[in-house]
Order: sequence, then C-alpha cells, then structure tokens
Amino acid sequence: MSARSTFAVWAGKITTKILKFSGSGGTSLPGKVVLKLCPDILGHLAKDMKVICVTGTNGKTTTCHVIRDMIEEKGSTVFCNDAGANMLGGVVSAFVNAAGWDGKVKTDYALLECDEAALRFIVEHFGELDVTAVVTNVFRDQLDRYGEVLTTVNKIRSGLEKLPNVKLILNADCSLTSSLSDVQHKEIHYFGINAPLYETASSDISDAVYCIHCKTKYKYHYHTFGHLGGFYCDNCGYERHTPDVALAKVLEWKDGSEVVEMDVFGNSVKAEVMLPGGYNLYNALAAVAVAHQIGLSDEQIVKVLGGLSTHFGRMEEVMLGDSKLHMVLVKNPAGFNEVLQFLIQQRPTGTIVFGLNDNFADGKDISWIYDVEFERLTEAAVGAEHFYFTGKRAYDMQLRLKYADFATDKFMVEKDYKTLITMLKQQGQETFLVLSYTCMLEFRDKLSEFVPLAKYAKE
Amino acid sequence: MSEKSLHICHLYYDILNLYGDNGNIRTMEKRLAWRGIGSEVSRVTFGPIDKDTDYDIIFIGGGQDFEQELLVKDLFEYKAEWLKEQIEKGTVFLAICGGYQMLGKYYEAADGTKVDFLGGINVYTTANDKRMIGNFVYEYTRDNGEKFPVVGFENHNGQTWLGEGVKPMGVIVKGYGNNGEDGTEGARYKNVFATYSHGPLLPKNARIADEILSIAYERKYGEKLPSLEHELEDAALDDIRQQLGC
Repeated sequence: MSARSTFAVWAGKITTKILKFSGSGGTSLPGKVVLKLCPDILGHLAKDMKVICVTGTNGKTTTCHVIRDMIEEKGSTVFCNDAGANMLGGVVSAFVNAAGWDGKVKTDYALLECDEAALRFIVEHFGELDVTAVVTNVFRDQLDRYGEVLTTVNKIRSGLEKLPNVKLILNADCSLTSSLSDVQHKEIHYFGINAPLYETASSDISDAVYCIHCKTKYKYHYHTFGHLGGFYCDNCGYERHTPDVALAKVLEWKDGSEVVEMDVFGNSVKAEVMLPGGYNLYNALAAVAVAHQIGLSDEQIVKVLGGLSTHFGRMEEVMLGDSKLHMVLVKNPAGFNEVLQFLIQQRPTGTIVFGLNDNFADGKDISWIYDVEFERLTEAAVGAEHFYFTGKRAYDMQLRLKYADFATDKFMVEKDYKTLITMLKQQGQETFLVLSYTCMLEFRDKLSEFVPLAKYAKE
Repeated sequence: MSEKSLHICHLYYDILNLYGDNGNIRTMEKRLAWRGIGSEVSRVTFGPIDKDTDYDIIFIGGGQDFEQELLVKDLFEYKAEWLKEQIEKGTVFLAICGGYQMLGKYYEAADGTKVDFLGGINVYTTANDKRMIGNFVYEYTRDNGEKFPVVGFENHNGQTWLGEGVKPMGVIVKGYGNNGEDGTEGARYKNVFATYSHGPLLPKNARIADEILSIAYERKYGEKLPSLEHELEDAALDDIRQQLGC
C-alpha cells in the first residue's frame, strides 16, 4: 500500500463525510477526488482481494444481490458498490468506503456492478488479479448512447482484454455474450436455459439476427425470450455452448417465485428461486455459476435461492394507506417485455401506472417503447380499472397504449408525482407502477414523504 | 371490416428495425382499421421478390452498420430494379434514416470510398464526424399550402444532400435535419416520403400518417380517405413541442 494511495483514500473519505454533513447525496464526487490524487487506486486497493465484476445490459443489480448472499453463505465477507453507481467513480467510492483509515480493504471479496461501457475503465489497473467477470446478456439499450448492440459487445470485450487471468461466466443463450469466449481467459463457464420459458414465444424483434462471425441468419432450436435461446449458425458452426449451469425446466410458477430443476455441473438440483418473473431466472443461474466456482455446495446454493428477500428483482412492494404498490424498473425493450410477462400472470384488476422519462440515464430516444409488446398485455389487463401515465414523456406512453388497443376511457396523464400519489392512496387499490430509471428515482423521492422507504435497490 | 384494404410491404423488416419501426407499421394498420379499412402487411426480407405482388405502401426502416454490407448485396441482387419501378410508377414509400439513405445514390465515407445505393431518388449522403442526435422539429407543407409541425428523434452521422427534382420533406425548426447546414429535412419525390425522423415518426405525427395513407388510398380507390380524430396523438405532439420550446 503506497502512501499516495492511503492519502487518496483519506481524501475520499473526508469528501464523503463533508457531502454527508452538507446533506447532498452525490456518490460520484469522492471517487473523482480519489482518482485525481491516485489514478491507479483500484489496483492498490484490490491487490489482496478476489474481485467479481458483473456487467451486461439487464439483470446486473439482481445478479449482484444473489451473488452477495452466496458469498455470505460461504462465510466470507464482501462489499458492493451501490446499485446504479456502476461507473468508475461509483466503484472507486465503494472501495474508499470499504477501506479503513489505514487505506486497506479488509473484506474477502469486492463485488462490482459495472456499466458495460465503464468496465474497461474499472478493470484498467486490476491486471493479473484474480477477477471473475460475469456477463449477463447484451440487448439493445439506450442506443443514442452506445450506437448499436455490437458497440456494447466491443466495449465489454475491451474491458475483458485487460484481464489476462479472468474467469469468465457467460450467458450461453445470448449469441452476442457468448462471442466473448475468445478473449484470453483462465477459466470459462456458461449458464443458460435448456427449454422455452413460456408457451407463447416472445418477440420477432431480435437484437441479433445474423451470425456475429459470418453474417448468416441464425437458426434456433427454441427461444426463451428476445434473441436468447438455442441458436446455431448453419454456415460457420457457431452455436450455443452447452451450459455448465442450466435450468432444465420450471416445475411450478408461483406468485413471486419459481420451483425449478437445474443442472449444476452435472448434478441435478431442485430449488425454489425467490425472485419474481422468468427474467430473473437468468440472474439466478449466473449467480449459481459464481457460487459453484467459489466453492459453495449444492445444498448451500439451494438454501440461498430459497431465502432471497422480496426486495430483490427490482420489484419493490410498499403499502400506501390501503393501496398496495408494486414498483418495478424498466430500462429497455427486453426488460420491459419480461415485466409485461409478469403482469400478464398477475391479471391486474386495480391500477397500472406507466412512467417514462427521457433523461440521459433513461435514454434520450424513447422510440424503444414501440419495441415493447404491450399488445401481449392488452387482453390480460382488461380487468384493470385505471391506466395512469407519468414522467416527462407520459403522453408518448399514453399514445403507445392507445395503439395497443387499451381502453382509452381508463387513461389519465398525471405528471405531478404528489397529486398522483395522493390519488393512488385514496383509491385503496392494488397498483403496479412500471417506471423508467429517473422516473423511479423521482417518484420514490416523493413517495418517501408519504411512507418510509428503504434506500433504493439496497436490501 | 369492408373489403377495402391496403397492402403494406415492410421491407427488410428483420434488419431495418432499429428505432421502434414497428410503431410506424402499427400506426398505419390501426388508423386504417379505425376507419373500417383493412390492411395486409407483408414482411419481406433477403432473397427474391415476387414482382407480381402489388403493394400500396412500401415501408423501409433504419438499421445498424453491421448488416449494411449484406443489405446492399441483396438490394442489387434482387430488389433494385423493382424498387426503382415502384418509385417511378407512384407507389407510396416511407423510408426512415438508413432506409432513406439507401434509396439515394450513394454513401461517401470520410476517406472518399463510395458505397453505391439504389439511386431511386436524387440524393446522396456523405460521412460526417459529428453525430446529429436529439429530438427535432420540422415544418411540413402539404400540396394545398397547409403547414404543420412534425416532431421526431434523429440520430445519424451521414449528411444527406438533395439533388435536382427532389424537394425536402420539411424545413427545420429545431435540430439538424438532412445535414445540419442547409435547413432542410428529408426528401419528397413522387410519392416517396423519406426522413431522418424516427421516434417512431407516425404515431404522434398523425397528420403525416394520414397524408401517407390518403395518397395510397386515393391511388387505389379514387376516393378520399375518411377523416379520423387524433386527439391523443396531438396531445403527445404538443407536449413534446412545448418541452422543446417550439
């Protein structure tokens, strides 16, 4: 530990304290201060630790939560960055918070949620360290920021290339993700789902139609959702790798959980996964692959999956007077379609609120809402009494649902969160709120004036 | 549903679908259905085209660079002559972003290399190091002189330049448009509507949607398209215009 890095940690800690004292909640400033003083700080702080990086378009936060529980089940200690604080500054802040005044981090593991584009900056100074990198999937996300899906793949790739000893854990069902298998690595394992998840296959909108290697159209044995599934290329032979951790089948869909049969490195394992919605199964599988790698037994894995708290999966439940609110975050078409699948199973009778902002963190371009298959929900939501719309682009969202044949006489736009919350409280109904990122932050901020809320996306 | 129906071709539906382009198709289908008019959407991809099939509207969306090479190959192998004939005979086209560029003559990269495109309309595109991105507004003028605003989202590197015989689709009020320099946006030639506007374009710009549907409907049936309300469409349009200050 160099004197410079210790000094930088001090500076970061003092900045954090000042920010806390002054009541401003920014998490990126301390990181910036530290990096100014010691650009390779992460190399110093992570030196004697095991690092796990989780990146990919969807499911980073949930996957991290499950991995965290797995590590703790093993009896090891871990720190994580705050959900959403997944750029370089946020990761540095997390390390600084975890470090003592002696400039050392004493936990066994650093578990890092990494933005796809920020991964290469975060891992810059990890070099030869023992790093496990999990790539959950690659979907279209905020195209105005990344250009196209291949740009996202290449950004992740350039991060992984900085880690010659990396242990890779890749989604076998995602042709974009599993193409990363050719970067230099020490170990590689795959997770995937061996059969279609739903009776009706979702979406002819695919983010990967043509083979990433030879540009021939992929064929599929089956789809799970989006472009995920049993893909293969007739021309060059690129195909889904057999997963080491696989979901064989869903034995039972429950309200908020699924009973599943898995194949974990050759062992057949039955478990209840306490996460709502099929989209979370991939996240659970990724975490199981990590758990197996760090030495958990199958029994321990089953125990963790069955004990996950309901705050996971970014579905949050809050009682507002007599109204039960279910809040869920949506970021892109693939994630939104999965939330719709969840809503279809719920057959909602009360109110559904859709909130859409177009700030940078949501994506400035909102055209993606037309890639979301609201038409699949229309029939299942006929029993709902109200459809409310909020956020900066509430009127665009309202229009989207008109074109999906929802009953427009149940529509209402309310951009003022306080008025909206007051109304939801008076209704005393079960309410589902489906909100884009900054819309969620703003809404929760206002909601916390009505009811106590846990810190966002933390357990 | 009456027996009246428009046949829409969604060309390269599985490749050129980057910006919610299904929303444009959906809007055409719905705005016909709500008038009691049918529609059939044929989704056409790589390979030979059935030249005996008549389409009333051909829609081409935007895509990503990865597939461009494949697309151009297929275009010249199977579709170029057919598309040119369709344009000249007055079939209605709506082309967005990459689809718009593809109808033009060529794309010239920064190093001077040219990729030949269809050459169906007299425009060409040159590379630009600046990405033109954001919500934008332009003013569309109908043949009868009536003007109305169009709002969409643009996201392109290429600068498109209009040649003789091609009119712009509109005049930029806010944003970049064709090239960020001459104040024009999109292209109109015969019954071709081409624009950088996704968003997607048609849902909240119901007047453009109806303009396109009207021309196709009148061509086919020789009668006016019945009118249809667009209250929620205008609400979305007005709201974003207000946010953009124009």
